[in-house]
Amino acid sequence: MAKVDTFGQPGSLLLPTNLDSNPNVSASETVADSFVSTGLLTTEGMGLEDVQPSIREKDTTEQVIEVDRPGVLGSELPEVTDLLRPFARTDTITSAIASPSTSTDSYSIYATNFDGQPVELKRKLKKTSTASSLHGASSTMGQNSGQRFGKLLETPIHRLLDQLSTEEAIRLSRADAEAAAAAQQNSSAPATRAKGKEMDALWVDRYRPKRFTDLLGDDRVHREVMAWVKEWDYCVFGRRQGGSRGVKRQRGEDGENTDEWKRPKEKILLLSGPPGLGKTTLAHIAARHAGYQVFEINASDARSAQVVDDRLRPALESGSAVGSSKPVLAVIDEIDGATGGSDHSAGFIKKLLSLTYDRPRKKGRKADPKASRPLLRPIICICNDLYAASLRDLRSYARIVRFSRPNDVHLVRRIREICEIEGLRAESRALTALVGLAQGDLRGCLNMLQLIKAKGHEVTEPVIRIAAAGMKQGDMTWTTVLNDLFAPMARKRTKDLGLTEEEETKYVRRLSREVESTGAMDRVAEGCFEYYANFHRHDANFSRYLKANEWLSSYDMLSGEMWTEREFALAEYLPFMLVGFYPLFQERGRPKLERPKATWDHHVATTANQEIYASLARCLRSAASRHHGDYRHLTSDQVLRLEVAPYLNRIISPPLNPVNRQIIRPNEKAILARLVDIMVALELRFLHDKNEDGQLVYRLDPPIDVFVTYDGKRASDIALSKYAVRHLVATEIDEKLSATQTEPVEKGKLKRSTFFNRRVANTDTTADADDDRTSLPVAKRVKGDPAQANPAEKVAVDFFGRPIVPKASGTAKGAPGSKIAVERPLTKYRVAYRFNEGNSAAVRKPIKVSAFL
Amino acid sequence: MSLWVDKHRPRTLDDLHYHAGLSARLRALAASGDFPHMLFYGPSGAGKKTRIACTLRELFGKGAEKLKIDQRVFMTPSKRKLDVNIVQSNFHIEITPSEVGNYDRVVIQELLKDIAQTQQVDLSAKQRFKVVIINEADSLTRDAQAALRRTMEKYMSNMRIILCANSTSRLIAPIKSRCLLVRVAAPDENEMVEVLRSVGKKEGFDVPDKIAHDITEDANGNLRKALLVLEALKMQSTDLDKPLAIAKPDWETYCHKVADMIVQEQSPQRVMDVRAKLYELLSHCIPPTVVLKTIADHVVDQVDESLKVEIMHWAAVYEVRMRVGNKKIFHLEAWVVKVMSLYKHFFYDIDMSSFD
Repeated sequence: MAKVDTFGQPGSLLLPTNLDSNPNVSASETVADSFVSTGLLTTEGMGLEDVQPSIREKDTTEQVIEVDRPGVLGSELPEVTDLLRPFARTDTITSAIASPSTSTDSYSIYATNFDGQPVELKRKLKKTSTASSLHGASSTMGQNSGQRFGKLLETPIHRLLDQLSTEEAIRLSRADAEAAAAAQQNSSAPATRAKGKEMDALWVDRYRPKRFTDLLGDDRVHREVMAWVKEWDYCVFGRRQGGSRGVKRQRGEDGENTDEWKRPKEKILLLSGPPGLGKTTLAHIAARHAGYQVFEINASDARSAQVVDDRLRPALESGSAVGSSKPVLAVIDEIDGATGGSDHSAGFIKKLLSLTYDRPRKKGRKADPKASRPLLRPIICICNDLYAASLRDLRSYARIVRFSRPNDVHLVRRIREICEIEGLRAESRALTALVGLAQGDLRGCLNMLQLIKAKGHEVTEPVIRIAAAGMKQGDMTWTTVLNDLFAPMARKRTKDLGLTEEEETKYVRRLSREVESTGAMDRVAEGCFEYYANFHRHDANFSRYLKANEWLSSYDMLSGEMWTEREFALAEYLPFMLVGFYPLFQERGRPKLERPKATWDHHVATTANQEIYASLARCLRSAASRHHGDYRHLTSDQVLRLEVAPYLNRIISPPLNPVNRQIIRPNEKAILARLVDIMVALELRFLHDKNEDGQLVYRLDPPIDVFVTYDGKRASDIALSKYAVRHLVATEIDEKLSATQTEPVEKGKLKRSTFFNRRVANTDTTADADDDRTSLPVAKRVKGDPAQANPAEKVAVDFFGRPIVPKASGTAKGAPGSKIAVERPLTKYRVAYRFNEGNSAAVRKPIKVSAFL
Repeated sequence: MSLWVDKHRPRTLDDLHYHAGLSARLRALAASGDFPHMLFYGPSGAGKKTRIACTLRELFGKGAEKLKIDQRVFMTPSKRKLDVNIVQSNFHIEITPSEVGNYDRVVIQELLKDIAQTQQVDLSAKQRFKVVIINEADSLTRDAQAALRRTMEKYMSNMRIILCANSTSRLIAPIKSRCLLVRVAAPDENEMVEVLRSVGKKEGFDVPDKIAHDITEDANGNLRKALLVLEALKMQSTDLDKPLAIAKPDWETYCHKVADMIVQEQSPQRVMDVRAKLYELLSHCIPPTVVLKTIADHVVDQVDESLKVEIMHWAAVYEVRMRVGNKKIFHLEAWVVKVMSLYKHFFYDIDMSSFD
């Protein structure tokens, strides 16, 4: 039963519990205690289970041995390990470190709350026969109570003798071993040999928590994850789970998951947090505890959209993995590296979401084998950067659980325990420093300790500092870097890094490295630009501001040059341009800077406006193609933006009075006609729409009026066109349009027949504007006429819509019999819709009106 | 129906109102049968494109006015598709390569080779060659200009190139030396007034002297702008005899507002306010160089004589930087802060001296 007690907890043998109980209590106490150290627990005791009697006997014998030598213990701890080896080998008890779960009854439970305060939970004492059997052996401990003498002989004497002889043998062999170990590696770690093959494993793997209770960190987070996994129980296992706490609040009002498969509301769990805190471990453990088989996709796999189809979907749909009866739970690790922001249509995330949230389309119908089936298994995604661009879509659908850095006390304790197991001498100051340096990254700590151990050092602070030199800086998003640029280092961090006052003032190297490591220098620069003017507002003569701007503009010039000349070697110098902000603007105790958004807003506005310019240019171009290239010179960017857009807006918004168009004054009529002409030519329209208040408005399309709107205000010299005016203009435009649409048809049809010419002549005389051939009244007539005006003159049309005027009239005159033939299509034509006439595959059948209601 | 700018655009060299000498020379060139590559340059709105169109008409007759506008798709070596709008007649083709930004070289190469390698098939055509008009030639990249060089010589028999640019400064020397340079100066005030009058007459109204004068002054040699203003005015109020305010483009009014803000107060808060306004201007796609220039002009109008030089100097400096860099707003704001600091220093000094 392992590596027994610790230097850190020397008092464990002398805890009050063993004073008033029989001595074997102290033995089991030790076991329980060693449990705390090896099992890396925060809450203890849940996993303790009764051991079968046969094992227990062996177990207790070991305890005897442990207990046997407490006097010697202290510094010679490793001996015990050696001592135990033969037992561990020969008996059913597996290696101590590998399975700390074998146990005996424990009489008190040690737990630690999140603040690192130890709590002792006492348990009712249970006496076992095996326990009393030890008394003879444990008498050496010198704890005398009347009880135990009566059970002195319960352990057969031969067994005791056996033990003694084994002990002797082991002591001898240990002496040899020690000599060998000393020759091998400075005898710094006599325990190493004991582990044999295990040496190959990384400490990270070796001390990975195996059970839920072993997990380190915020229990609430762990429980939340567990609760979510449990919510799937009904869906996956088809059983209603018991009154597990923490689940109820997530449910629908009737206390159930409202889904038709009784799934939780969010089908994906997104774990996020800095590396090394145990996100992956938690996911795996939670899955295993809840009875799932884990199916993992991580960065080592390709993460294209295809993976979802090829691997994930089959795995989830088949429900359980091959060769196991457990249902599958998918763990997608490092999902923030996956492809598929919103721009990739086939992105991984998108596919994943569609897999999760697409409902099978028609339920009642026969199942289409290709149609997506509902997701019936949980998916856990893990990421470091919750705000990675690729996760944008996922964030809104997933339940998000954030990991935060656990209290340093826990980390230090766990590390110390591991050090002791590994036989690594460690100062606690050094360990604290280590945890601080790693910023809570337990994995990093363990790797570093292993490194130190491999070098054969003791763990002291200087050693830690040296080893940490190459250690990864925590995750440096560009916002943190931005904050570092505008604020001096936090005192705590300074302490962690062990910097002296003088070293702290040397910022250039530190900051330039940070800036460089973000890989988003442009963003940092934008952030600097956005925030610098908020600080040092008392700057009377702008000297700081001037300097800041000098830095920024040199930065921009350098990077511009770098990109155009493709001289990427210059990138090395870029960070220094931004470091210049530190001495200018650093200040302690300022609120944390948020992600700057002005640049983005500006970008969005600009692209929207560019789009409008582009559509205006398109309109101009298409107008040019209809008007012999008239507008084409106005399309070039500069001209369009600086001259055309503002003045065109003025040209198309004359101050008209909203009156009925029949009573419009002649000069206004001319303006209106011209306005309509221009708008039709440029394909500008007034579209009927509702604004935010629900009022009816006419909206200009394309909305080129944004170009006379600055700061949300329209230019003052342009008359605000009223709804009625726009309505008037819009109807005019519509009429004009339908006129121009019919015009070419009519022209083609009539081939300048007298019919058309005379009409134009007529209108010319009636209309005021003498050269406005296409002005409003004409348009009206031309449109209105064929339908109603004079049916006598109506032209007969043959099947293809061609006029058969001369011929028909000729035949009509010649042969009266054929007149009817002419008449008939004519009447028919009056009834039918000519527009869109043509073949139709539709089947005609009488149907009642009620069928449409 | 077109805007007056286009409706009354001269179609032949004879119709042109001003630069009679230039028109005569162009006519002579067109008649000579030895038409060179040409480079038209001059300020915006002076009539370069009009003259080019007139010259084409002179060269090819009416056929050059039968235009068709379409889009062609070009492929970059990296398989990116570029859409380019092309205006063409049977005798010429007109492109604006700056539409595609950095990929203009691809467009130039492919298009010119295309045209250069096909001969004029229309036997009745007056000239054996086709003309390629390249608009905004001064924004051609170096690569594209280099791509032009050899083609201009090699395919001389099939093709002439007419470049149209605002200034020659950004064209490489080899191009300039291969072209006949034609400067189209901006019309002077009288010429512009005359044009405005003639347009008014064709539209059936008289342009009052006052208005004509105001418009010309405001347009500053840009005839297109003048005509647009005239039409806008006519649309806004039928009676031009009343005293009217000449409509300024909105971005310009806004720039002036910014300039006023800079002069009125110099404080960090003001810097932020100005920044918001600059963002607004830039998001309306007003070119940053134009913004800087307009604001600088207006600031200079309001400050003391001794500051003017400095302010203009720094405006020039930051404009250069802006062209090199990518983030225009940085440089605009840098200039604003610079001006504020200069202005403040200036006043600070004055104040101190008055105490002595």
